[in-house]
Amino acid sequence: MKNALVIAAREFEEKRFIAYAAVAFAVLPFILGAIPGVNGKSPNDTIAMSSLIFATGFAVALAVMSGASFIGRDLSDGRMSFYFSRPVAPASIWFGKLMAGTLMVLGVFVLIIGPAWLVTGKAWKSFWGITLGQGIAIVLVVALSLFLIAHVIGTFARSRSALIAADFAAAVLCGVSVRYLVLPLIAGQALIIIKWLLISLGVALVLAILGGGAWQLERGRTDRKRHHLALSQFLWGTMALALLIAAGYVGWVVSAKPADITGEMVTLHSPGGPFLTVAGKARSRADYNAAWLMNTEDGRNIRIDSRSAWGMQYTRDGRSAFWPVVEGNLAELRRYTAGAAEPVDTGLNVWGGFIMISDDGSRIAVVDRGILSIHDVKQKRLLMSARVPQLRSARGCFLSPDRFRLYAQTDAGLQIFEFDMTSHSLVPTGEITGAPFLHLSLDPTASRMVVRAGRSSVVTLNDARTGAVIRTLASGPNLATSRYLRDGRIIVVDTPENAPVLHLFAADGSPIRDIALGRGNYTGFAGDDGTRVILMTSRPGTLVAINLDRGVIERQESGANEWIGSNWYEVRPPIGPLREVVYRDSEKHVVAWNPATGAKRKIA
Amino acid sequence: MTDNAIRISDLTVRYGRTLAVDRAALSVDRGAVYALVGRNGAGKSSLVRCLLGQQKPQTGSVSLFGEDSWSRRTALMQRIGVVTEEADAPPEMSVAAIARFCSRLYDKWDQDSVEARLRTFGVPLPSRFGSLSKGQKKQVSLALALAISPELLVLDDPTLGLDVVARKSLFEEVITDLADRGTTIFITTHDLAGVETFADRVGMMENGKLVLDEDVDALKSRFRRIRFAQPVAIDTAVLRPTVMRSWGGGAEAIVSNYDDLAFERMRSASNIGAAEVEAMSLEEIFIAIAGGKS
Repeated sequence: MKNALVIAAREFEEKRFIAYAAVAFAVLPFILGAIPGVNGKSPNDTIAMSSLIFATGFAVALAVMSGASFIGRDLSDGRMSFYFSRPVAPASIWFGKLMAGTLMVLGVFVLIIGPAWLVTGKAWKSFWGITLGQGIAIVLVVALSLFLIAHVIGTFARSRSALIAADFAAAVLCGVSVRYLVLPLIAGQALIIIKWLLISLGVALVLAILGGGAWQLERGRTDRKRHHLALSQFLWGTMALALLIAAGYVGWVVSAKPADITGEMVTLHSPGGPFLTVAGKARSRADYNAAWLMNTEDGRNIRIDSRSAWGMQYTRDGRSAFWPVVEGNLAELRRYTAGAAEPVDTGLNVWGGFIMISDDGSRIAVVDRGILSIHDVKQKRLLMSARVPQLRSARGCFLSPDRFRLYAQTDAGLQIFEFDMTSHSLVPTGEITGAPFLHLSLDPTASRMVVRAGRSSVVTLNDARTGAVIRTLASGPNLATSRYLRDGRIIVVDTPENAPVLHLFAADGSPIRDIALGRGNYTGFAGDDGTRVILMTSRPGTLVAINLDRGVIERQESGANEWIGSNWYEVRPPIGPLREVVYRDSEKHVVAWNPATGAKRKIA
Repeated sequence: MTDNAIRISDLTVRYGRTLAVDRAALSVDRGAVYALVGRNGAGKSSLVRCLLGQQKPQTGSVSLFGEDSWSRRTALMQRIGVVTEEADAPPEMSVAAIARFCSRLYDKWDQDSVEARLRTFGVPLPSRFGSLSKGQKKQVSLALALAISPELLVLDDPTLGLDVVARKSLFEEVITDLADRGTTIFITTHDLAGVETFADRVGMMENGKLVLDEDVDALKSRFRRIRFAQPVAIDTAVLRPTVMRSWGGGAEAIVSNYDDLAFERMRSASNIGAAEVEAMSLEEIFIAIAGGKS
């Protein structure tokens, strides 16, 4: 320790001219503050800002130059033997010089900024949106990091050894490794883990350089090539170890199982098929989110990017699931079909926009930035595209593999187009003007639709192609749900405070019966199986199965804290039969409930 | 306590594919003066770096006073004075600052001797080290090395850059005086004439190999230059000529195993005729050995 201090003192003595230069830079802001025309409205601001700029620039420049030379120059000039001919331990040489170098960087910063701060203290509240303390800390951390990095680069470059190629490769490898460690965390939206991982690796790098410096002097002594070799071995060895530990940790984080999901969850159920998407924060893994596409029939889980969970879409036949796989600024749709060995990439890049999938998943329509494009999934190619009006929202359905109908919600209202791929034509077929936002529910053949304006109190039956009103189905201030069922019948749920009622209509809109629902806060439609309609109530959460043929509430499932829906953009009922309704109970378990039998099972 | 101040065993130093020192072995007794000679690039500096614990050899070991020079360098340097081939002190520092810096690193330090020596050779203490002449820098290094009254003084080509007066002072006063006081001295030099008077033992390196390691007196006694009045064929079973060449009307041979009795027997048996036998200086022996090998 004593010898380290002796060496540090020698370094200070040798480089005292730097302190003189810093004093000159400390005076300069006061001169600028006194010059009329330069100082603007507030001389204090000029002094504060210019001293900050000078201090930062001086400290950073000194850090880079000192870092590159405080060991490297003695080595390349053959002067390291001066120390090694004396009774001084290598560690004393390293830490003495290091102490002097870092204190000089800190010292010049304080020397330049100090007088200005003392004189103009009130002008220092904050800058660039951060406090003065934070700003100074950032400048000093950057400067000292540059000091250490410059030392490494200086040692490598001055050795004039071909080993520098290996160092470059190792640095690239480290960078690539960090990228591959961070990517799954980005996919898991684990910003806190990423932040601490990068801080930890940064600390490991600093420790590797600090330890590596001592090691290079111990092993290399007066030989610059051996210095290089020793520093390389220590630095990359330490970083390899740190990366291995980080990889182990990241591996553990991403190894989360569905059972580890706790707290807030995203869950989407395929109403016509076996799929369930589960996503949420994983236990003991900070803010890491994990997601799976689960097949509730065969128990198979497919890991997906948690950012994709909200973008999950199922085909009407329930056999396929599509989700976006995010890679940089691209998002490629991936498809998994029940029974297939692995998911397959569609080759279709979608980022933003509205995606509508044909019943069997063979074709996809995308509306993005005013362009409607139709893609063939199997052939991975664009079939055709056309310009459509700028829209706020889009719904649509494939009438056949070659015909697509688009419901474009524009500022002016709903505009309806049909897109014919055999004739390559886009034909406007109708519109519903004036409505700000419409809930649409088409019958299975897409010939008629139930329309409910977001803020209006009327449900109408309209022609699905032209938008023309066929008849009014219901009106009132408390209309909650309106839609076509699998079998082509229509329901409208009216929820006046004391007497909620379900109106049942035939496919053409003629009334069949009204079914009294009893008291409850009916919030949504959870599915139908041809015989029953399942509605959801809140406070408390209950699933209510209503037998449409008998006109009675047949079964209730309490404890359904949250119903799990899906296919937000689908306008037609599912094709397949309803198997189960899926909900989350108060303990966040995902439960599948059979409304026909009342049987239930825990899925996740 | 070991009698050897220096013991080098099986020392090998490589730089990539270049073999700088090839299995060198030597020892120097306490209080002896050892002169290591060799051409530039022969491997002397590599051997000295290993000796001072500044470089780790690929194989072999170097011990100073019985301790490994690599692992015990820091402690050993309290007992060893070093004058390096190239001046290595920081050029921006003044001579006084360098002396002050060094004084803080050693357990014992004679500042008066440093100042006296530098005064003698006209080296001003306030001068920047970088502004000094090559000879002055050597004097500074020497003054620093002697300030600790070293048990071992390692001089790596110390006369390089010194003028005649300084060189004479170094050899005739400093080293002789130190040797008389029992200080072990290891010196690498090209100035063989200078070390001839005080070196106890001499080593010669060539292409990394220590080709000679012998007491100076023994070496000088077995090397002779013999000039024959007429061409002769030397019986190599008796005398081993290192160099053989024509000289005037006769021949000149430099033999490395001269012996008076053997020579007289050979001369009378072979009827060689008149012959002149001369002793040789270390420098002449070095040239003969180096020339004979090349």
